[in-house]
Amino acid sequence: MRNESFAKVGLFVLFTVICLIILIPFYAIALASFKPGGDLVRYGLNLSFDLSVMSFNNFVFLFTGSHSYFNWFFNSVFLTIAQVVLTLLISATVAYGFAAYNFRGKNFLFLCVLMIMMVPFEILLLPLYKLTNDFGLMNSYSAIVLPGIANAATIFFFRQYISGIPKEIIAAGRVDGASEYGIYARLIIPVMKPSFAAMAILNGMNSWNNFIWPFMVLSDTSKYTLPIGLKTLLTPYGNNYDLLIVGSFFSIVPILILFLAFQKYFIDGMTAGAVKG
Amino acid sequence: MMKKWLSLGLVLSLVMLLVACSGGNSGSSGGTESVIDGGAGENATELSYWTFVELHGQHFEKMLTKWNAEFPDRQIKLNVSVMPYDDMHNKLSIALQTGVGAPDISDIELGKFPDFLEGTPQLEPLNDVIDPYRDTLVESRINIYSKDGQNYGAPTHVGASVAFYNVEVLKEAGVDYQDIVTWEDFKAAGIKVYEATGKNMGTADTSALWQVSQLLAQQGTDLTDENGTPQVNTPEAIRALEMLKDLQENNVISTIAGGQPDTEEAYGEYNSGNFVSAFMPLWFMSRYVNYMGDLSGKIAIAPIPVLEEGMPASVGGGGTGTVVTKTAKDVQLAKDFLAYAKLTEDANIEIWNTLGFDPVNMGVWDMKDVTHNPDNAFVKYFVNNPFDVLHEIRDEIQMIKSTSASPTINNVLGTITLNEIFEDGRDVTEALNDAQAQIEQELQ
Amino acid sequence: MIKRFIYSQKVAPYVFILPFVLVFAIFWAYPLLDSFQMSFQKVALGQESSWVGFSNYEKLLSDKVFLKALLNSFAYMLLTLVILIPFPLLFAVLINSKLMWGKEFFKASFFFPALTSVVVAGTIFRLMFGEMEGSLINSFLGLFGIDPVKFLKGQVTGFIALLALATWRWTGVNMLYFLSGLKNIPDDYYEAAAIDGASKLQQFFKITVPLLKPTSIYVVTISIYAGLAMFIESMMLWNGNNSPKNIGLTIVGYLYRQGIEKNNLGYAAAVGIVLLAITMIINVTQLSLSGMFKKEDQSS
Repeated sequence: MRNESFAKVGLFVLFTVICLIILIPFYAIALASFKPGGDLVRYGLNLSFDLSVMSFNNFVFLFTGSHSYFNWFFNSVFLTIAQVVLTLLISATVAYGFAAYNFRGKNFLFLCVLMIMMVPFEILLLPLYKLTNDFGLMNSYSAIVLPGIANAATIFFFRQYISGIPKEIIAAGRVDGASEYGIYARLIIPVMKPSFAAMAILNGMNSWNNFIWPFMVLSDTSKYTLPIGLKTLLTPYGNNYDLLIVGSFFSIVPILILFLAFQKYFIDGMTAGAVKG
Repeated sequence: MMKKWLSLGLVLSLVMLLVACSGGNSGSSGGTESVIDGGAGENATELSYWTFVELHGQHFEKMLTKWNAEFPDRQIKLNVSVMPYDDMHNKLSIALQTGVGAPDISDIELGKFPDFLEGTPQLEPLNDVIDPYRDTLVESRINIYSKDGQNYGAPTHVGASVAFYNVEVLKEAGVDYQDIVTWEDFKAAGIKVYEATGKNMGTADTSALWQVSQLLAQQGTDLTDENGTPQVNTPEAIRALEMLKDLQENNVISTIAGGQPDTEEAYGEYNSGNFVSAFMPLWFMSRYVNYMGDLSGKIAIAPIPVLEEGMPASVGGGGTGTVVTKTAKDVQLAKDFLAYAKLTEDANIEIWNTLGFDPVNMGVWDMKDVTHNPDNAFVKYFVNNPFDVLHEIRDEIQMIKSTSASPTINNVLGTITLNEIFEDGRDVTEALNDAQAQIEQELQ
Repeated sequence: MIKRFIYSQKVAPYVFILPFVLVFAIFWAYPLLDSFQMSFQKVALGQESSWVGFSNYEKLLSDKVFLKALLNSFAYMLLTLVILIPFPLLFAVLINSKLMWGKEFFKASFFFPALTSVVVAGTIFRLMFGEMEGSLINSFLGLFGIDPVKFLKGQVTGFIALLALATWRWTGVNMLYFLSGLKNIPDDYYEAAAIDGASKLQQFFKITVPLLKPTSIYVVTISIYAGLAMFIESMMLWNGNNSPKNIGLTIVGYLYRQGIEKNNLGYAAAVGIVLLAITMIINVTQLSLSGMFKKEDQSS
């Protein structure tokens, strides 16, 4: 027994140390958000706690200053919501089609779903970019949202979930005279609700942090999302480091709050692929 | 019931999509983007302007106010976007090639300009608006933004290279900057400074070609031959880099955080007094004034040392050509305003007043009341007056050719070769031979 | 009539999957085919494309910068595998053990870095690994009397920064994958093994590791993709796509450089196709070595 409590303490200490190391970057950026931005790039990001240079100036500037931060912030919020709603709606519908029916070409089409997951998205950047240009969708949010609305991982997850729903529900619906779409809309969707949360989080996170594709598509600064906007602050000729640091810090806060509130769904969503893999 | 649900879903998704397409159009102000109205009324035309230097926007703001007062029926609001160097040029290039999303007016840096002249330039020729001022401007600064006789960019400055010395540290080491005429003198002074203070006299640049260009210009050459073909492994280039490497080995110069003086990290190093001199185009003055406040009253300007006496001491460095795009909303308005804001005598005076650049209208160089205005922030900051130095070197300012190979040359030398030489101690000739091969291969 | 047709049970599934078919065709199959086509062409936006046969691929073979990018991406992928498989597995097993206090708290804090965007995380790490004496890592090294290191200027040190960033962001996620895999292993196995006198270590290698195989395969597969396709991490760390001596250039970075920065889309497409071929070969090899194809029924 003594061995066991020894192990307990050892484990706890080990994990606490690792945990502290993990939190250092957060602590550093939080600390930095109270210091003048220029200092950071000149003297480096560090853990020195010097009250004489620290102030709330950056936060005052963030909330009252004249800059585009909250414009980007709400662009990001808007895009994330649009992406999540559309992706969930469409992916769930597609998944139901795969899970509830047997039809000609089903296996081939489902193989297509898997194939999407097999190819790194980055390879498609250039042709997609050309396509977007040909469609005249450059600099538009449609170009960002549309390619992702039938998300393969989400379809895959929903299909697994729907497969677990008793087929009797569908049969009963047919007996009651409901149409195929009615069964889906009124009988299946309500049962699927729990799976939406995890997928909403997964897609929401991907969309919130999405960078390279929106970065390539958007050219109008007023349409920028938060990650793109923050990146544009990284320039020696702009004097924007105050905003960059406090803005970077503040961009983590909403996710942190959401995470603390819906921790379980975050973890379910992120690991959804592996469970059934 | 079911139909209702379906149609609701459909409507919802359509609405979302439509909003998504048009969303975010409501511009906001500040930070990296701001709409400057310059006293413009309701009917002003809004023009968009991209730049990678926030300060350039300030100059335009000043000129815009004057323009709007002078031409009430042609008023303009300027929507300024500041983006990082690489991103701005990439986005502009894409926007111009695709014809979507380009601004009306944009800055293009000299090193990137040739990329925008390839094929049929998607830029408006500015000849007609430059013509009235052509005689007053330094011709070579217009020609670097031109192709086939068409002038596409309005120049900002001459960019005459000068030396900036921290006299406080020099005094500590018992060195007088005015005694430094040749690189030999510089080396001797640097050794003295290092022994006395442990500080480095200058920088060994790894990510920019300022010093290399200066040293080549002194020998009457640059990085391309007369046909514009790259030639980076010439005896002149080897001599220049061998000399810099010798300085590095004697602790006279060393590499700096950020890789060259014109970076945020380097401003910090200079501001702390860790490096004593910078050999940069004159516009580097504005960096001192804006980002290195602690050095006020300690920096003197002088001609750059020469390899051998009698060689030309300066070269035009860097530069920004401001262009009007083919897709501009109102091309003539944009061109007229651009000429007004950058080419008129008044504009050239303001370029000195606001930005601290050496204007392309050299007539301004002779206006004592402008150049020696005691209230001017730049005049106040420096130990001596920059124009006294400019007058000394005005006939010696060499020009570097800008060719379609230049962006590749800059990239290879600035990311690979100079790092190999100064960070890894690689043999100069070997490194330059490799660079030549690499450049030729990339240009194939 | 039409309504009857659409509402029939035979047609309904096609209506359901129609959005997928459209998205697949427009945003996946077409671009992929286009990518193949472009790789045999000279393509620039705003100009006519022309066929050039295999010359893009021939050029790639002798392109030293591309080989450098290839090497970097491979090294990064392998090193992330070495770090991001065993350690998260170990942490998962430890956190899952009955002796662990504060499981939920540690799970959450390990996972938390994954929530930050690469842009923000990259910026923080760029500043932490700055070459100034006062930068976080250098000031830490200073405590041990080590001189400041120019992290982002050297090949090895640059990779240390890159790997630190990857480790920081992904350890928690991979740990969660393994944890969810561990949940599926019944406790009886361990109890039975304990009765047979198996040590903890034996239990780990004889029960945990083999039974976690499906999870491990999944994690390895996505890590290979993520490793080979890495780009933004490097872009943020070096504040652009031009790292000194290209120490941080990756395959996708080169694709971006050629396609976006140099408007050389055909050549860039060839880079993409090479990346696709490599990922396919590695994954097929990996999956067949781990017996994924043969014993698929056992692993689910």
